[in-house]
Amino acid sequence: MRIVNPSFGLSLAGTEQVTTRPVDWLNDPIVLFTNSKPNAHALLAGIREKLAGVRRIDNIEFASKDSASQPAPAATIDEISGKYRVALLALAD
Amino acid sequence: MSDIEATEIIDVGDLDGEAWTDYAIAQGWSDGMPLAVPSEAAVERFTAIARGDNEPFPPISPSRLIPTLQSLAANAVMAGCRPEYFPVVLAALRGVLTPDYNLHGTLATTHPCAPMLLVSGPIRRQLAINYSSNCFGQGNRANATIGRALELILLNVGGAKPGIMDRATHGSPAKYSFCFGENEEESPWPPYHVRRGFAASDSVVTVMSGEAPHNINDHGSTTAEGILTTVAQTISQPGANVISGKGPLFIVLGPEHAQTLARDGWTIEAMQKDLFQRSRVHASRISTENQESYASMGRLPVDGHYHLTPTPEDFHMLVAGGPGKHSAYIPSFGGTAVCSVRVAASA
Repeated sequence: MRIVNPSFGLSLAGTEQVTTRPVDWLNDPIVLFTNSKPNAHALLAGIREKLAGVRRIDNIEFASKDSASQPAPAATIDEISGKYRVALLALAD
Repeated sequence: MSDIEATEIIDVGDLDGEAWTDYAIAQGWSDGMPLAVPSEAAVERFTAIARGDNEPFPPISPSRLIPTLQSLAANAVMAGCRPEYFPVVLAALRGVLTPDYNLHGTLATTHPCAPMLLVSGPIRRQLAINYSSNCFGQGNRANATIGRALELILLNVGGAKPGIMDRATHGSPAKYSFCFGENEEESPWPPYHVRRGFAASDSVVTVMSGEAPHNINDHGSTTAEGILTTVAQTISQPGANVISGKGPLFIVLGPEHAQTLARDGWTIEAMQKDLFQRSRVHASRISTENQESYASMGRLPVDGHYHLTPTPEDFHMLVAGGPGKHSAYIPSFGGTAVCSVRVAASA
C-alpha cells in the first residue's frame, strides 16, 4: 500500500556559517536571558550566585523578552548580541 | 530547498484497517483516534480541488518545514475530510501562518489554547458546516474533520508533538477539533466577515488561538442590560490569559440573547465599548505578585482596573448556536491575533 507521507516537508536552503572568537568564561560579559516568567529569573539568579564563586559577576546582567508569549523583538536580540559574549537562557513557567 | 523526510510517497506494505491504525499511531501521526488512509488516489482527489490556490506556503513552526500540497492533503484525508472541505482547511492554515497569529508561541505554550476556526459566508451552507444547535459539539462531519485536519497538519508537518514541542500543562479537548460556523441567518447584525471588510458573497475562515468555549448562562434576564451584565461579570476573570489587555477574545451570542440585545437597540460597537469597560478586573482581585509581574512588563492598571483586551474592538462578537438562553466566551492565548482569510475558489 502506497501512501502520501503526512509529515513530508522541505527545509529552507542554506544556513549561514558564522565564526566567533573563543569565549573568556572568567571575564567576558554574560546576559542571563529569560522568557519574562518569574521562575526563569529565579533559576538564573541561582546560577549567577554560583558563578560568584568562580568569576567576576559585575558584568553578568539580566534581560528578558517583553512577553513570555511573543518572540523577542529583533532589536532586543541585536542589542544583547552586541553587548554580551555569552547568553544563558531560561524558559520557565 | 532539500528534503527532510526521505520520500513523499511511502510504501507501507499490506495493512488492513486495524494494522494501518496501529502503524499510523506508531509513527506519531495521530491525535489518538483512528485515521483514514492517505492513499495516492485519495490525496489526488483533494489536490485536484485546490489547484487554483497557487500561493506558496511559508514554513510551519515549530519544525520550520515547508509543506507540499500533497502532504497537507494527506492530513486532510487522514482527518476524514471530504475533498471539498480542503480549501477551507488551506484557508485556516494560511490564517494561523499569519505572523501576528504567533503560531510557534501558541503551539509551544503551557496554556490550553487551540486554533479556533470560525467559518462565515456561503460555504457554510455548501459544506453543511454547523452554525446552529450544538455548533461547538459533536455530530457534524465538516466541523469535526476540518478542525481536525488543521490540528494534524500542525502535528505532522509543523512538529507540534504533545509533551515535546507542545508543552500544554493540561491541554484542551479543543485540540482535537475546534471549528464552527456563524449563524448569519439569525444574526440581527451584519455578518462578522462583512464587518471585517469582506464581501457578503465571500467565504471566510477566521482563526484565533483560543480556549475551548466557556458557557454564559442567562435564562432570567429579559433586557439587554441584564444580559450584558451577565456577560461582563462572567468574563471578568483574573485567571484569564488575556488579563491586563494582552489580546483579543470572542463573545459568541446565542440567537435568543442576540435578539434581545438588538431589540433594545444595541449595536456591535456599543456592546464592545460597554463590555470593555464593565468586564475590567479590579486590582483587588489580582494577587500582589501578579500585579508586580504585570508592572515589570509595563502592564499597569487603569483607574484601578485591568482590562481584558487592548481595545474595545478586540471584543470580537457574532451570533452562533441554536435555541436556548446561552452565549459563549472564548478567551484567547493573549499573545495572538485574530486573522481572517478568504477561502480560495475550488478548481
